Amino acid sequence: MNKIILIIQREFLTRVRKRTFIIGTILFPVLYIGLIFGTGYIANKTKQNLKIALIDHSGLFNTERVNSVNGNDTISTFKLIPVTQEQQIMAAYDSSGFDGYIVIPASFTWRTGTDSLRVNSKKSFGNSALDPVEKKINLVWNKVKHDSLGIDLSKEAILDKSVSLKLNNEKDKTADAGVATIIGYVCGFLMYFILLLYGSQVMMGVTEEKTSRIAEVVVSSVKPFQLMIGKIVGIGMVALTQFLIWIACIFIIYNVGKTSGNNSSSASFAMVGQIQHVFTSVNVPLVIGCFIFYLLAGFFFYSSLYAAIGSAINEDMREAQSLSFPITMLIIFSIALMTPAIANPSSSIAVWASIIPFSSPIVMMARIPFGVPNTVPLWQLGLSMGLLVGGFMCTTWFAARIYRTGILMYGKKPSWKEMIKWAFRK
Amino acid sequence: MNILEIQNLKKYFATQKAVDDISMNIEQGSIFGLLGPNGAGKTTLIRMITGIFYPDSGNILLKGKKFDAENDAKFIGYMPEERGLYKKMKIGEQALYLARLKGMSKSHAQEKIKEWFKRLEMENWWNKKVEDLSKGMGQKLQFVITVLHEPSLIILDEPFSGLDPVNANLIKDEIFRLAQNGTTIIFSTHRMEQVEEICNHIVLVNKGKKILDGTVDEVKQDFKENLFGIQLENVPEGIKSNAFDVTGVQNKNIIVKINEGYKPNDVLNHFISNGSNIVSFREMLPSLNDIFIKLVEGTPAARQFEKIPD
Repeated sequence: MNKIILIIQREFLTRVRKRTFIIGTILFPVLYIGLIFGTGYIANKTKQNLKIALIDHSGLFNTERVNSVNGNDTISTFKLIPVTQEQQIMAAYDSSGFDGYIVIPASFTWRTGTDSLRVNSKKSFGNSALDPVEKKINLVWNKVKHDSLGIDLSKEAILDKSVSLKLNNEKDKTADAGVATIIGYVCGFLMYFILLLYGSQVMMGVTEEKTSRIAEVVVSSVKPFQLMIGKIVGIGMVALTQFLIWIACIFIIYNVGKTSGNNSSSASFAMVGQIQHVFTSVNVPLVIGCFIFYLLAGFFFYSSLYAAIGSAINEDMREAQSLSFPITMLIIFSIALMTPAIANPSSSIAVWASIIPFSSPIVMMARIPFGVPNTVPLWQLGLSMGLLVGGFMCTTWFAARIYRTGILMYGKKPSWKEMIKWAFRK
Repeated sequence: MNILEIQNLKKYFATQKAVDDISMNIEQGSIFGLLGPNGAGKTTLIRMITGIFYPDSGNILLKGKKFDAENDAKFIGYMPEERGLYKKMKIGEQALYLARLKGMSKSHAQEKIKEWFKRLEMENWWNKKVEDLSKGMGQKLQFVITVLHEPSLIILDEPFSGLDPVNANLIKDEIFRLAQNGTTIIFSTHRMEQVEEICNHIVLVNKGKKILDGTVDEVKQDFKENLFGIQLENVPEGIKSNAFDVTGVQNKNIIVKINEGYKPNDVLNHFISNGSNIVSFREMLPSLNDIFIKLVEGTPAARQFEKIPD
């Protein structure tokens, strides 16, 4: 027992003291947030500003009406072209700065309009570019209709009024599905990254010990099982430490923001408000508690398998890739199951994926923010946790038996079949 | 007293009888040579003695009691042939870690490391990393790590490979010193001249079986061919005697093989009686190298794979 603690200590300290750990701890959230906002920013940036020439034969689209809708957004701009210049524009619209032109036929009436209009262009556009144009054309037609029906601005305002729908969860008054979805995604993806990154660290660590032959020296003092468990627990502690540092940072930012931002309307105040909203709509201590449980149990489940693979391979990292592929696939498959689980956290796929051990760490963590025990009944949470503990005990047992043979075996890369044979040999 | 007794030890792998019914006793304080060609089963045997492998059958007794890998690890120091150290770890920390894994307390380990580093002139190594060391330096460090916890049985697999003569002598002296203080040393190697120089007792294994067991002197006596070397002032023409045959003449040295039923005195008498002046006379014992080659020759250089029935 004492020796396992020594091994855990070494694995933990050598990793935490490395500069890469500190850089990773700071950089990961920055990159993670950067990724989310960056993609949003890029999506916004790449929205096209379409300049469309309108050639109106019906006489309904006058300059006043067209200009009034142009102010609605900046995604597209209409310009009414006199019919006399039709031929000119049709021949050279792109050289005069237009992305395309629309001809409104003379048959377009205020009552029936026309079946469809055509945007003529030399480029192709996605729906996200064309939808706003379509909306604007219809807005102009609406104005035509209103004018013809005698609806003035005040009546128009009445017509525009609509009602929005919000879910009132009778059991959980403060639930907010939007916040739960975001927290669910964050938890699921974070779990995914931690399992993959630290799982492969275990694998590389084991391979390093094997190829540098230190394993032989150490195994003459401790059992192979102790060496393996020591490594897994040590690296698991590193992952946990990193996670706790992030949580601590969020709390510090929250508290500092609360005291300094209370009397101002600064950005920090808005952020505090956001975090406060998360606190009221999601049971944060429960989510953090469960996350720590699933982080450790899921990590033990996968990393023991990674350790078994690490013990089987030699210097060649390509061997590692081909052998670890099935395990990595399980983690990626879990992420694929997470999306439908968040979209409908009570569906049977969500329930089962969050109970079966291999996918439960990611899928259950995506469901928990939606509320325990309403969305996730206690029996499901209990069963999922119990099965995961049983699951990691099985994988650890299985891995330990491969490990003790693999760590001292040099030469050819074994196949999965051979490794399974090692596991079930007496 | 025997520190280690090995009784009918067997270990079969899927394609090889790595160790096939080997028994031997190792006396406390002796320097014991475990010899054998590549793939003879030496490493497997050592791995069973160090508790890395469990034997399929047979017993290992350490200090008269059944060997228990977990609790007896502290009595054994093992230096494998392929050196193993954490490349990125500082040398002092690494020695401390490995010593504590053997069950030493932190302060005791620290004290011992300082003592050994001082003795082997490694004091300024403490904060260096293993990757900064040369092969020979790594070897010295590995030796220190092996003997640090004062084991009563030290197993060294090719300890001198990569060491220059000065450092090899340094380590050799340490081995003698440890043996004098009652430590038993098992020394596995192919280098016969080192064995002759260092070991008291040797065992030769080949193809998983023990084929030779005895002290260096006994073994040499067993394999002697009654060869004697005589140096004469003048070598007479046409030496002929019933007592011996001349097998070689070089300058003034004659090598003779004494025939069955005759004694060295008969050789001397022959030369004295014909008036030759004898400068020197000595028995020529075979070298361990010759014995090794003689015993192992004819078996394939590398072991063939064989089918082992379950």
